[in-house]
Amino acid sequence: MTVPFIERQIKRGGVLIALGLVVQLLTFASVHPLAFVVFLLAGCPLVAAGIALYLYSLVAHEPPGSPPGFGSVTRPPPAR
Amino acid sequence: MSRVVIVEIAFVAATALLALLVAFRAELTRVRGGKVLAFVALFILPVLAVWGGFSEHMERAQSTRFCLSCHVMEDYGRSLYIDDPSYVPARHFQNNFVPRDRACYTCHTDYTMFGGVKSKMRGVRHIWVYYLGTVPKPEDIKLYHPYNNRECFHCHLGARRYEEASEHHKQPDMLAKAASGKLSCMSSNCHDIIHDVGTLKDATFWKGAP
Repeated sequence: MTVPFIERQIKRGGVLIALGLVVQLLTFASVHPLAFVVFLLAGCPLVAAGIALYLYSLVAHEPPGSPPGFGSVTRPPPAR
Repeated sequence: MSRVVIVEIAFVAATALLALLVAFRAELTRVRGGKVLAFVALFILPVLAVWGGFSEHMERAQSTRFCLSCHVMEDYGRSLYIDDPSYVPARHFQNNFVPRDRACYTCHTDYTMFGGVKSKMRGVRHIWVYYLGTVPKPEDIKLYHPYNNRECFHCHLGARRYEEASEHHKQPDMLAKAASGKLSCMSSNCHDIIHDVGTLKDATFWKGAP
């Protein structure tokens, strides 16, 4: 059974967010400028990417039976 | 570790676990309750966690421990313990004129990440140089701009001791010049002995510090 598009994206987004938060937790272990930079350049982008992926999955998701239209990411069938 | 930090860590850990739960049980989102859970776990809570983490890191960046965590800054930390009241930072630090756990930030409020964009870029450059470049000797480190009287006036402006000190009336318009920034508090023959880390090897140190 194939996993729906939205669930695949949610999985990827959730993993990215969790990774970013783990990086954030690790940076809490140290009071040092490098910890801040790692938080800013690794933790934050991972979380941001995860959130973006999740939000993208919401807008790109087409419920079964819905007509392709505004916001659709799939191509309409070619005209005959 | 303060209670706030413990709560912050617990919150971030719980958010990460919740994000993983939603990630590996994505089929939960097929029902309305699951959709709400996903929105909370993958949007609301992570945003709050990152915001809290950013605040925590900014708070830490104001601590003396943070500023002195780089080896090159250690001598500046030692200079706070010089047993000589003519050293302005030492006098302020040892008499609690500045909070000891925020001693650096109290007098250097626009340093690196707390300053403008240029200051922030310099902060990133400092880290680059620290790990990948040639680190200058502590005594060769200088401020990018002349020290701003504003930092002194946070506390001293309007204070009776400052206004009435005879040294501040050697010239009739001395206070006005200092207030307008035309005369630096740290100009020659005034408060010109600052950290002077180059002379530490000959200095004696206050033993009363914790």
